[in-house]
Amino acid sequence: MATEGVEKTSEDVPAAGKVSNRFDLEKETELRFEVEAGEAAEQVELELLTGMAEVFGSELNRNKKYTFGPGSKIAVFTWQGCSVNLYGKPEVAYVSKDTPMLLYLNTHAALEQMRKQAERDNERGPRVMVVGPTDVGKSTVCRLLLSYAVRVGRRPTLVELDVGQSGVSVPGTVSALCIERPADVEEGFSVQAPLVYHFGSTTPGTNIKLYNKLTSCLAEVFSQRCEVNRKASVGGCIINTCGWVKGSGYQALVHCASAFQVDVVLVLDHERLYNELKRDLPHFVRVVLLPKSGGVVERSKECRRDARDEKIREYFYGFRGSSYYPFSYEVRFSDVRIYKIGAPSIPDSCLPLGMSQDDTQLKLVPVTPGRDLTYHVLSVSSAEDGEEGARKGIVESPVCGFIVVTYVDTQTQVMKVLSPAPRPLPRHTLLIMDIRFMDMK
Amino acid sequence: MADKHKPDTDRSFFSEILSPSELFAARSRSHKIPIRGQKDFFPNDSEEQRQRLEQSLNEHWSLISEERVERLGNLVRAKWIPGDQIVELQSPAGKFWQTMGFSSDGKQFLLPEEALYLMECGNLQVFHRDLPLSIQDGYERFLSPNTLRLQQYQVFGHLKRLGYVVHRFDPSSEPSSYARRLNLPQSRDRAGRQLKRKRSASPTPSCSRSEAPEESTTERMEDDKPRHDGEEEKTVPESQLTASSEAPSVQAATTSTAEERRGRSWWMTEDLKHKASVHCPPSASSHWDFSTVPFPDLGGRLSGCLASPDPSLLPGALAVGVCDVAAWKGRINLRKVKMSAKERNREKEVCRRRRDINKDREVQQCSNWADYKKLLAKRQGRRKGRPEHLWNREVAPLHDPRQPLPTGELLDKISVLKSTNLLEGASRLKGSDEWKICFNVYQPDTVADFKKSNPGKPYSRMCVCSFDDPVPDLRAIKLLASQSGDVPVVIAVVDHGDISFYTFKDFQLPKDVYP
Repeated sequence: MATEGVEKTSEDVPAAGKVSNRFDLEKETELRFEVEAGEAAEQVELELLTGMAEVFGSELNRNKKYTFGPGSKIAVFTWQGCSVNLYGKPEVAYVSKDTPMLLYLNTHAALEQMRKQAERDNERGPRVMVVGPTDVGKSTVCRLLLSYAVRVGRRPTLVELDVGQSGVSVPGTVSALCIERPADVEEGFSVQAPLVYHFGSTTPGTNIKLYNKLTSCLAEVFSQRCEVNRKASVGGCIINTCGWVKGSGYQALVHCASAFQVDVVLVLDHERLYNELKRDLPHFVRVVLLPKSGGVVERSKECRRDARDEKIREYFYGFRGSSYYPFSYEVRFSDVRIYKIGAPSIPDSCLPLGMSQDDTQLKLVPVTPGRDLTYHVLSVSSAEDGEEGARKGIVESPVCGFIVVTYVDTQTQVMKVLSPAPRPLPRHTLLIMDIRFMDMK
Repeated sequence: MADKHKPDTDRSFFSEILSPSELFAARSRSHKIPIRGQKDFFPNDSEEQRQRLEQSLNEHWSLISEERVERLGNLVRAKWIPGDQIVELQSPAGKFWQTMGFSSDGKQFLLPEEALYLMECGNLQVFHRDLPLSIQDGYERFLSPNTLRLQQYQVFGHLKRLGYVVHRFDPSSEPSSYARRLNLPQSRDRAGRQLKRKRSASPTPSCSRSEAPEESTTERMEDDKPRHDGEEEKTVPESQLTASSEAPSVQAATTSTAEERRGRSWWMTEDLKHKASVHCPPSASSHWDFSTVPFPDLGGRLSGCLASPDPSLLPGALAVGVCDVAAWKGRINLRKVKMSAKERNREKEVCRRRRDINKDREVQQCSNWADYKKLLAKRQGRRKGRPEHLWNREVAPLHDPRQPLPTGELLDKISVLKSTNLLEGASRLKGSDEWKICFNVYQPDTVADFKKSNPGKPYSRMCVCSFDDPVPDLRAIKLLASQSGDVPVVIAVVDHGDISFYTFKDFQLPKDVYP
């Protein structure tokens, strides 16, 4: 429904030199706009003037300006019709009637019906896995479904298994986060006390055994939580997965479904995957095929890398690099033990008797600190600093924080690290990631 | 037992004065105690054996019935006070005062077992209602459940005769395990003085019985302290952890305690109302009837329009219209996955081998993940040759032979009974009445400079039990060990007249594996 009566647009709000564009949206349409990527790009501000609208499931407040930084790709959807103002110059901005939001909403309704039933019968709520190839909007669908669930009073859990583009923590980790309020329009879900495990790389393919192991760990912890917290149990979980759907990646999806004992699998825009999962998952798992939104933009490799970098920066400096001030201090090599998970594979004939390749993939390999450690991200494992005997638990221990090595001095045997907290390190077992971060800005 | 008086004498009991010839006879009597010699194990009905037995018995009887002659001047006079169950000295004490007795209100007292022992030694004459008590009387009057039992006295007497200094064990004078851990200096003499005052104040000097419960509670309270202490120590590293994770972006996966501090917990439980129902959710049953849950499945046989969802299920009570599914069906991605020739071949191979698991009858019967996983595990087990009948019961083997383990770890894994240290967890045990430490024993060579007010660390502590009693269990031994601290506890086992001593010591079982 087009709004009426609001004639004045930019005269009203003289935003400092910014162009203002007004969009009137009919019901069940969305405004898609992209902010130019790059250093010098101008931020775009969004303001809801009349009606109601939401961004990925989170409702907009009227007459509040939301700022979107470079590279943002936003869709403002309205169920009833609204008018919004965009200040600044977006790269693209258009209104689309062609959105699968109604299907997603129906999906939410079905899940909510299951939660109601679970509540009534004292059962556990639906566990949903969202799968699909890259760039189909898996994370967005997850965010949408979680926001809707929270808005009807549920406490669902987000399980983030996308090691490349984690929505919860830095890349190279898998994590779980209980959602208690809808995502912030600008920042996404508020990240409080997540459960994070170290994976160490941006693709699950580098160590699929470890990936499956961590999936099982998360599933185990989530099940334990469900046992003590009824609300979490009814809320169920929504699992975001990687875009890797072939070969081992596909096997990892099947393993994840089995580990979490999922009830519903949402396949986004991949009929082949849909058919395969129908074949390989037992009949009591509902596999649902959903279309992707036309607004989904394919991201380039560079774009993904930038997003990863931004995520790590956000960890140390806060959202838009303003809220936190990390510490930099020196750590002696002798004070820490650095490990890498997974030994390089050896031919089976060279292995000790009775040992299989699996063992090496979960093995901890000590890393001798050297210059090549520079710029690597290290996870601080929460495993107790014990002797050799305690090493077994390190792989399955959650991470309590991350540090980045900024400088290595092999002469004095110290390294300089960027850390979110002042010294000393809470634990002294560090796990090295393949991911590097250069603190340039 | 030597009885001082023949009952059939009609002479005055306590002022029996011997004539010089009688005295001389008593002096020149042999003071030898008959030797018991080797024991015969079995009666063989022989005359020789009978005679030997008779002779030995006669010797014993004659020894016991022998009149004991003491010098009146050597005898210390004392009075039995039945109300307090102690003996008050009425003439100056002898040499025994160095290691026995206590004084209070300017009077000197002996504990009943001490008095009885001195009577047997011929050092003391105890009067009751102005009549002297015989040793037999002493046994009857002095030994009672309120003071000492016969067995305890037997041990006392045995040790005393061997020269040891034996005192009653008073748990309150022992430093608690907490004080011990803090390495508090022992305020010995203060405790000793307190002990005396307590004895004079309360009529029963046998503090073991009346005060034991009180003592044990205080001790327990003190025991609690180190535990709190330990907890505090434990939380220290975690507070560091919180500090580190709290500062910037709360991305840290903190441990539960750290989260609790923040007021939100990953393990946060709901209010109690829910809690009651929490335990029962059968976690893995599939209770969904998907025919009634309308998922907008584009791959399914859905056609036409999707009915509008119930507004009560939607956020903000949205009311939305129907959804045309057909339009979306055409737009789903059907494009072929780009694959290399190698990948395509592999895929084909996989396709040929794999079939729809849901065509399997057994899989169809599974109604939830738990069933399905059990089925898979069963099949896998069958394939791997693990004897199923051993594993599908409640009691399963300790180790799966398919998992290789170093021998040392394997031994650890299959050792069901964990070895324990004597003092391990002992401070948490509650006191029991069954087993109690009776005496502190000090070595004879310390007698010369022994001080009752500051006796120092005992050589050992004595616990008395009968031969017929059960062997103490681990709990009792731990309890005794924790009560005694670093002084070894010796258990005196009384078999009628014979006393044997046992002690339990920590030792490490040898392990034959060298890593």
